[in-house]
Amino acid sequence: MSGSITGWIKESRAKQKEGKLADEDFAQLEALLNQPKLKVLYLYSKSTNILSPVMSWALYDPRDADEPKLPSQNAPFQRIIDAMADGWRIVQFPIPQMHRFSEIDNDYLGFEFILEKEI
Amino acid sequence: MKIKPTMNDRDVIDFISKGIVILEGIVSDDINRQCDDLPDSNISEFVQREEFIRGVFLHPEAAGVARSLLGEDFLVPCSANQHLFEAPHRGQTWHSDGISEPGYGITHLQCYYYPQEVKIEDGPTMALPGSHQRLVDREAIAHYKDILGQQSLTVPAGTVVLTHYGIWHKAGPKVNSKRRGMIKFSYFRNSQPKRDWLIDEVAEPPVHGPRHAYATEIEFYRDSVRCRRTWDWMCGKESWEPGGRWIRSILMAKPLGEVLSSF
Repeated sequence: MSGSITGWIKESRAKQKEGKLADEDFAQLEALLNQPKLKVLYLYSKSTNILSPVMSWALYDPRDADEPKLPSQNAPFQRIIDAMADGWRIVQFPIPQMHRFSEIDNDYLGFEFILEKEI
Repeated sequence: MKIKPTMNDRDVIDFISKGIVILEGIVSDDINRQCDDLPDSNISEFVQREEFIRGVFLHPEAAGVARSLLGEDFLVPCSANQHLFEAPHRGQTWHSDGISEPGYGITHLQCYYYPQEVKIEDGPTMALPGSHQRLVDREAIAHYKDILGQQSLTVPAGTVVLTHYGIWHKAGPKVNSKRRGMIKFSYFRNSQPKRDWLIDEVAEPPVHGPRHAYATEIEFYRDSVRCRRTWDWMCGKESWEPGGRWIRSILMAKPLGEVLSSF
């Protein structure tokens, strides 16, 4: 059986037509409903524009939050809009007024977008 | 024994910009092997043996960088800590140690010595070149993960890495159970800054570092301005007073001249 609810519905429709839908299929659905629902992605863009290049990223997936993963220099998306095209929803935009202007000193990484996606 | 500067103008500017120098495989295998069974703790007694002082702290290449960046009679460490990892882990979060030191000068080099080879699976230390120019609250960057330009210090045994104290770093993700040790120690400035490293030409060179991959347009300009200020400071164009009192109260060190005269 599929690992997603959408997949479960598709496969169960086919089983129903064949009269093969069973209790264990509903147990599978119950397990799917009890899984974590969201993963979160931080993307750091070089400006407030969602077409700007991404230069840092952090994915938090509750299904494997404590698993060590080797570092990478390959961004999952080149731009914020590419993540949107993949179904990620922006839940926080960078606010320009919160970026203190200084002639000299840099501090935190640039423009932080927080996105979420249903698993 | 005379400690000579090993860096020229371009090397110094590169350090000003990146905050890191990597000296691969410089420590002898004999000393590396002596570190195999050290505990995950303060090892100050171990590092005060003459063989270790000569072979690591006063190694001509490591001490040559310290002499170049910290000037005459810099303070040589008398203490060190081993950071030891064995079990797999997801890695530390990005941070700079203690309270980052403000200002534009270079007064403190924090060093990482790796007695064993470190591969990517071993959870190498990661550092972000140029991040020493960003003073931040370490708890406010704990959610950062991959950053363009980050450097995993996958190095051969006997490598010494010298960094600006404020550089962002972390133990990287570790996916095996191999022992991965790192001995951390610090050199400090003990004299007024002046341009007394290796000078190829009397005329000062153009002062600018590379654009860091993670920097925005305006950040690049700020980095350039800051590099210029640090260069002027290093050349003695601004006054210097002993700083880093907070960290110096924890990490003990004494003048190079005193160490050399003790042999």
